[in-house]
Amino acid sequence: MPSDSKRITGPETTIPYHYYLSDFSRKPDFKDPKVGERKNGRLPNEHRPVFLKTGVNSQAKGSAYLEYENTKVICSVFDPREIPNKNEFSPMGELYCEFKFAPFSCIKRRGHIRDAEEKELSFSLRRALEPAVCRHEFPNFQVDIYVYILDSDGSDLAAAITCASLALADASVPMYDLVTAVSVGICRHLQFVDPTNEEEQLCKKTASAESIDPQAVITLTYMSTLEQVSEFTISGTIGVCHLEDKIPALIKHCNAIYPLLQQCLIKNVKKSLGKKKYS
Amino acid sequence: MASVLLNDAEKTFILHGVEVDLRCDGRRRGDYRPMELETDVVSTASGSARLRLANTDILVGVKTEIDVPYPENPEEGKLEFFVDCSANATPAFEGRGGEDLANEISSRLSRAYQSLPLAPLCIVPKQACWKLYVDILILECGGNFYDAISLAVKAALFNTRVPQVTGSFLDGGSVDLEVSDDPFQCWRLDITKAPVLVTLSKIGDNCVVDPTAEEETCSVASIVVAVLDSGSLTAVIKIGEGSVHEQTLIETIKTAQKIGVELNSSLMTALNQEESLGPKRQRFGFLK
Amino acid sequence: MEDKIICVPGQRLCLSDDEHVSGSGTYERQGYIYATVAGVVDLVKQDKGFLVQVHNKEQSIVPMPGDVVTCKVNVINQRLCRCSITCIGDTVLMRPFRAILRKEDVRATEKDSIEMQKCFRSGDIILAKVLPMKEIHSYQITTAENELGVVIAHSESGGVSMVPISWTEMQCPKTYNREFRKVAKVGPENIVID
Repeated sequence: MPSDSKRITGPETTIPYHYYLSDFSRKPDFKDPKVGERKNGRLPNEHRPVFLKTGVNSQAKGSAYLEYENTKVICSVFDPREIPNKNEFSPMGELYCEFKFAPFSCIKRRGHIRDAEEKELSFSLRRALEPAVCRHEFPNFQVDIYVYILDSDGSDLAAAITCASLALADASVPMYDLVTAVSVGICRHLQFVDPTNEEEQLCKKTASAESIDPQAVITLTYMSTLEQVSEFTISGTIGVCHLEDKIPALIKHCNAIYPLLQQCLIKNVKKSLGKKKYS
Repeated sequence: MASVLLNDAEKTFILHGVEVDLRCDGRRRGDYRPMELETDVVSTASGSARLRLANTDILVGVKTEIDVPYPENPEEGKLEFFVDCSANATPAFEGRGGEDLANEISSRLSRAYQSLPLAPLCIVPKQACWKLYVDILILECGGNFYDAISLAVKAALFNTRVPQVTGSFLDGGSVDLEVSDDPFQCWRLDITKAPVLVTLSKIGDNCVVDPTAEEETCSVASIVVAVLDSGSLTAVIKIGEGSVHEQTLIETIKTAQKIGVELNSSLMTALNQEESLGPKRQRFGFLK
Repeated sequence: MEDKIICVPGQRLCLSDDEHVSGSGTYERQGYIYATVAGVVDLVKQDKGFLVQVHNKEQSIVPMPGDVVTCKVNVINQRLCRCSITCIGDTVLMRPFRAILRKEDVRATEKDSIEMQKCFRSGDIILAKVLPMKEIHSYQITTAENELGVVIAHSESGGVSMVPISWTEMQCPKTYNREFRKVAKVGPENIVID
């Protein structure tokens, strides 16, 4: 988003009042690991319910909206256009991904200009989608993908990737396969599939310097038909032994979401066929 | 990445070489190219290192400055990475050409370095802390940026000397910072929690360590793994536009972890060795 | 409307063998044909076997060499004219693509005597064919066929659409002024209505 000179700028730095709450610095407690029950009554390996909808933006070529309870993502995909500022021929089309948090989506207010985290997430998004798109079908062009996080409550990247994949399919951008992504948070012996914000914070907080306990958030992007991992990110500290069983588990979760995307697309095609019949 | 133009025959040659475990420069799949490392090369920086990995040349300078801690982490210092892909390296980086790559590397690095405890960098909680600016200059590219940069950064952080500063509260809550009279009274960072990155490029059915620029062009996907001394991983990054199979991913990460631990220990040995030579050691500088 | 097979990207459609060939909207991998878009599977009978295609009404298209496109002429100079592609075949584009029509590609014969000003004027709507891409950022197009050239042109004086009277001339129905154009012979099946 270009900087807006007409916007009244607030003070240079402001601090959300949440930081002054007495229990902010306290770690969220998940003291009863045996039951393994999470705040909202989910099991450790239970994904939040998924809501998917396509065609939410009439101006875009394709769009999708995705909701994991409080994580809400909207994504628009636009027609291929010429790659700006490029002078040589590129045989492969390019994806331009923009990952943006709405200013009000997090506890801390986000600026209008993309910050470092958003840029990094944009890279991950692009890396996750690139292998799935038939980029040779639009040489010299780029497809713009804009992801907006309306409400952030954990698993933002995973939600964004899944949503963008659906939006690409809705825009009829040729793809080798649909991609789905799932995150898992690990904190010592606890694990949270599809972590909420609170759980992510718990897993991200740096452990005491000596501890070798795993603490990480892992996001895996998978193409179910091709059986390929298209993006894999870890943030935190984790041993190799923990990864070995987490990767297959994450893939299982990705496979579980995959049919939901398919159903959503099939419904779309049926709808457009129906329209044709009556017109 | 700065791409090298290769035709199909050249690519096939590299591919076949990797298949029989003999790469173009005579290395095997798991071998690194020779490295040269020198620390304390820039007198104006608090810490610096220069690493030359065959044709890849990296210069890292660390600057320490005083800043106010983030409100969400009031008891921690700050660490920031800046990568400059200078047009010296390749003309492709001219203007804003290298910007994307630079942003990508710096954001990936800061993610991998999340494991480094920043609490020692705090001077007065909520009021003052050290901010480390890690500036990375790419002087020449010959492939395998991530490994080279991470080694150079770790060496530069090892070399960094943070001045001894004590803070005291004055009336009205303001803070008075007092720098030690002796300018040589410094403390050093604990870099056991600093990772090194190991890149494994998938070429054909095999993965190679330390890919050259040519090999990078042949590879569609590379996995970069950040490994600590202890063998724990702090980040796994996929670069390149391709994808990998789940089994390959696990195998690659395992291999990278083993290599990373070795790399960490040889880096520390080298650094300690250099250190033991004392301040009067022979300097090489970057022009040699 | 009988049962149609609906598919989604990445869905395996059938074996790729002598009888089934991968067409648009599909790709081939390890002996199978997969879909790349969400849509309806369509088997087109060919001389030998079937061409497997997936149809989707909204698929975005980019001009490919050989496509007949409708363009609007923007700028003319002595060597070339710059156009913007607005339609590919029957599909109207959401955003136009830039294209260049060089002097040599205006017509097939008497290439040396071509004067761009006597072939096109800015604002004309032309039919053209896409040439293989050589330069980035602009497609090259050609009108060197009888069916290609100006289809809609407005007269300089009256501003009304002119009527073709020969291969090289069009006439204004109001003022009867004649203007030079590289006129397209529009066949009856694809009459362009203003």
